[in-house]
Amino acid sequence: MNTLSTQKQLITFDDKVVRQFMWASIIWGIVGMLVGVLIASQLNFHQLNVTPWLSFGRLRPLHTNAVIFAFVGNMMFAGIYYSTQRLCKARMASDLLSKIHFWGWQAIILSAAITLPLGFTRGQEYAELIWPINIAVALIWVVFAVNFFWTLAKRNEPSLYVALWFYIATIITVAMLYIDNHLSIPTSWTHSYTLFSGVQNALVQWWYGHNAVAFFLTTPILGIMYYFLPKAVERPVYSYRLSIVHFWSLVFIYIWAGPHHLLNTSLPKWLQMLGMFFSLMLWAPSWGGMLNGLLTLRGAWDKLRTDPVVKFFIAGVTFYGMSTFEGPLLSIRAVNALSHYSDWTIGHVHAGALGWNGMMAAGMFYWLTPRLYGTKLHSVPMANFHFWISIFGILLYVASMWVSGIMQGLMLNSTNAAGTALTYPNFIETLTAIRPMMGFRIIGGSMYLVGMGLMLYNLVVTARSGKAVNESREVNVIQRGSVDNMGVKTTFLGDPVTYFFGGLFLFMGWIFLPKGADITALFCALGFIFLAVKKFAASHHSWSQWYERLLENWLPFSLLTFIAVALGGLIQIIPTVMVNRAKNMEDRIQQVYTPLELTGRDIYVSEGCYNCHSQMIRTMLPDVLRYGDYSRMGESIYDHPFQWGSKRTGPDLAREGGKYPHSWHYNHMMDPRSTSVGSNMPTFSHLFTEKFDQKTLPKKIAAMVQLGVPYPPMTDVEIKEDAIKQGISIVETLKADKLVASPDTKIVALIAYLQKLGKYDTPEVEEKLKNAPGGPKLIPGPGNPDKQRPAESE
Amino acid sequence: MSKDNSNAGPTLREHSYDGIQEYDQKLPNWWLFTWYITMVFFVICWVGYYQFGIGMSDEKDIETAMAKIADFQKKELELINDDKLWEMSQDPKIVAAGAATFSTTCVACHAADLSAHIGGVKLPGLPLNDQEWKHGSNPTQILTIVRKGAPDLTKGMPPWEPQLGLQRVVEVVAFVLSKHEKGEPSTLAADSPLKVEK
Repeated sequence: MNTLSTQKQLITFDDKVVRQFMWASIIWGIVGMLVGVLIASQLNFHQLNVTPWLSFGRLRPLHTNAVIFAFVGNMMFAGIYYSTQRLCKARMASDLLSKIHFWGWQAIILSAAITLPLGFTRGQEYAELIWPINIAVALIWVVFAVNFFWTLAKRNEPSLYVALWFYIATIITVAMLYIDNHLSIPTSWTHSYTLFSGVQNALVQWWYGHNAVAFFLTTPILGIMYYFLPKAVERPVYSYRLSIVHFWSLVFIYIWAGPHHLLNTSLPKWLQMLGMFFSLMLWAPSWGGMLNGLLTLRGAWDKLRTDPVVKFFIAGVTFYGMSTFEGPLLSIRAVNALSHYSDWTIGHVHAGALGWNGMMAAGMFYWLTPRLYGTKLHSVPMANFHFWISIFGILLYVASMWVSGIMQGLMLNSTNAAGTALTYPNFIETLTAIRPMMGFRIIGGSMYLVGMGLMLYNLVVTARSGKAVNESREVNVIQRGSVDNMGVKTTFLGDPVTYFFGGLFLFMGWIFLPKGADITALFCALGFIFLAVKKFAASHHSWSQWYERLLENWLPFSLLTFIAVALGGLIQIIPTVMVNRAKNMEDRIQQVYTPLELTGRDIYVSEGCYNCHSQMIRTMLPDVLRYGDYSRMGESIYDHPFQWGSKRTGPDLAREGGKYPHSWHYNHMMDPRSTSVGSNMPTFSHLFTEKFDQKTLPKKIAAMVQLGVPYPPMTDVEIKEDAIKQGISIVETLKADKLVASPDTKIVALIAYLQKLGKYDTPEVEEKLKNAPGGPKLIPGPGNPDKQRPAESE
Repeated sequence: MSKDNSNAGPTLREHSYDGIQEYDQKLPNWWLFTWYITMVFFVICWVGYYQFGIGMSDEKDIETAMAKIADFQKKELELINDDKLWEMSQDPKIVAAGAATFSTTCVACHAADLSAHIGGVKLPGLPLNDQEWKHGSNPTQILTIVRKGAPDLTKGMPPWEPQLGLQRVVEVVAFVLSKHEKGEPSTLAADSPLKVEK
């Protein structure tokens, strides 16, 4: 700690980049929320889907990506750049990197705003951007990371403040998640297939999706809370000890909770159970953050009355507490059976995004702007009005989504007293019931948007009343070598780390070891915990000294953080990707898509059908009665990407194939209301004139073969011929019903795909095909190791 | 700064980060206990599920429930025959219930007037208001088609029993029969699969 030095240095902080990120955040936030209000309106008024590029399926990804990566992303960067420089007592290491980061990020957002409405998508939620943009995101993230860690290395403050811990966790984890979930094989500049398929894809996607919430929307904002909240209320943080405990438990436990997005699906049950229990154990660590935020206000509660900044912060932290209570609740399998695929989830994420992220952003911007422009806030009453209209907007929104979600969930799952028939067999009946709620959501969202507009106006006037200032201050330069000098041995062989890993590995032994050994491992783990507690009681001083030392060493700290976040993913994902689940797979194996069906599938993905339709019949009686036999793991093993979906605005389509004649689908796409009275689905009339892409089809098949999908050997010409031939047969069938279509149009491909949904072979059939002379060759690949392994019991 | 403490003097840590100081309060007990409870819950449930396999599998649950439904339907079906269905078609209450289901589920293909045409345009379904039947004109034959769907599902009727339940299916058939007379002449369609069998 004693780094008293006489050397002083005058430094100027780079506040320009903070200002840039701040304005970008507000403007993109307004754009993203405007799109949100539009798509909310489209749900009630299908006529608003005026053009293909303005249709719900394409705009909903734009909305989610804009709010997450553009609004919260830019806000996070503004907060991180501002606070990191001050907490490190150093200017950002490289102005050039800061510039590249800012402009690169805006370019990415712009390209997303163009490509998504055009229907270029990877078809995974919050991971829709096409592969060239993925690479750009990864590169810009690395630029940000280098700039950040370089600044840490150059810091003039020996010890890392808790805000920085959270930033470190954010940068490391987002990089890890983003890269793994975006692995894909390109087929053209705008299209690619995901490396993983089916259940593996689902697991990796929700490991990513859930932790995008955790490490993009939560940890950086907690860091921002730890800096800006004590600054605004001018009080010490409530508890350092709580910071330590909740930081490490949060980053460690969060990663495990991903499978709670896949409850009651065909995901192996042990993963579902782990996802559920870790979500429950996440409740307290999340509330640790809330407590540290709220209780920091102790002794200064009066500020809540007068200062809009404090109002926004406290409301934000309160919403954080509410959402992180709701999250574990929704992760309970029985609750999830009701809430999943319904508006309840939508309400939950908006309580987080509008309540936690949005309110924290507003508080931070109202605090920052006067300081960044050396002036006073233009209008406090206007900021107060913004606060109240936001609060009412959120509450209206979230409450209507609760009512809507619970009502629709109850209706969909309701059976008669004997349990022999559904009470509401017609899906549309349940949709009609929630229409008023969907109306209230438009009002609530619009109120919030108005607040955002007021903030923009208020802050622009504030900025213009002052002048952009870059703060300068004199700092003591610390001597290199007095910090960042912790060796590997001290880092990893200290008591806290050894005990933690020892205990963890024994617990892993319990889960993975064969019978007999596992229970031994469990008892050893319990004994080990007992030892650790005893040791801690005896020498907690040495433990806290070790930790204080760790705080003066950014690299060991970052390494430990990385290990903490990597563990959960490794343990959950590797077995599913590598280990044979033959027993489950063997049951049924999906039939390979023909070239035309594959094309149809790409159209399904491109139009964003997965935003409203799931392809996963859960292991629940109402699902089975409504949609057919529950989905098996093997039934989506050739789906790159998987399309299980997360929301049912329309019915599940997992077994749609063969349910209706071609003509039904034809009419339904032309005018959904003609076949389903009361539907809110957009019309897809453009599919009837647009031709599907024949040129890249051979490349797509080649990519599929590379991924391990057992296509028979076909030449490029054969592939195209096959597609057209199947198209002609569909057109012939349509003709019998006096409907006209051209065999090379998108609608024909889409019908081919929809009619294939739910088609499977039993493994015996596949085996026969494989061994038949002249039959198609099955090409082994990395995509589905489960299929390659012989069926052996585990 | 007021000394506000319930924990007998929280220590204020000396170090100040850019003007921010931290107390070193003890962890709130209620908070700790909430956490411990979730951990204990995890260990107990995990041991139960993983070690002892407590709780039936979801798949078994479904199988049991479906078997129960099949059993129930079998008993119900034993009570139904052609005469019974004709009888039901005269019961205004049953017919009204059938009409309600028909108007949400069946009209898309068979049209509200059962003609399978709207404004001269042919809909995907077959007309149900004429005397020509593809899958047999006996009430029980009609019932089977509505329950199980057409023999070739890609070309026609989907099975409605799982989604609607047997009772609603029976009501719909009663509604369709109410538009017909018992003993009226009927013909098999030219493409009837029943014809081929004979």
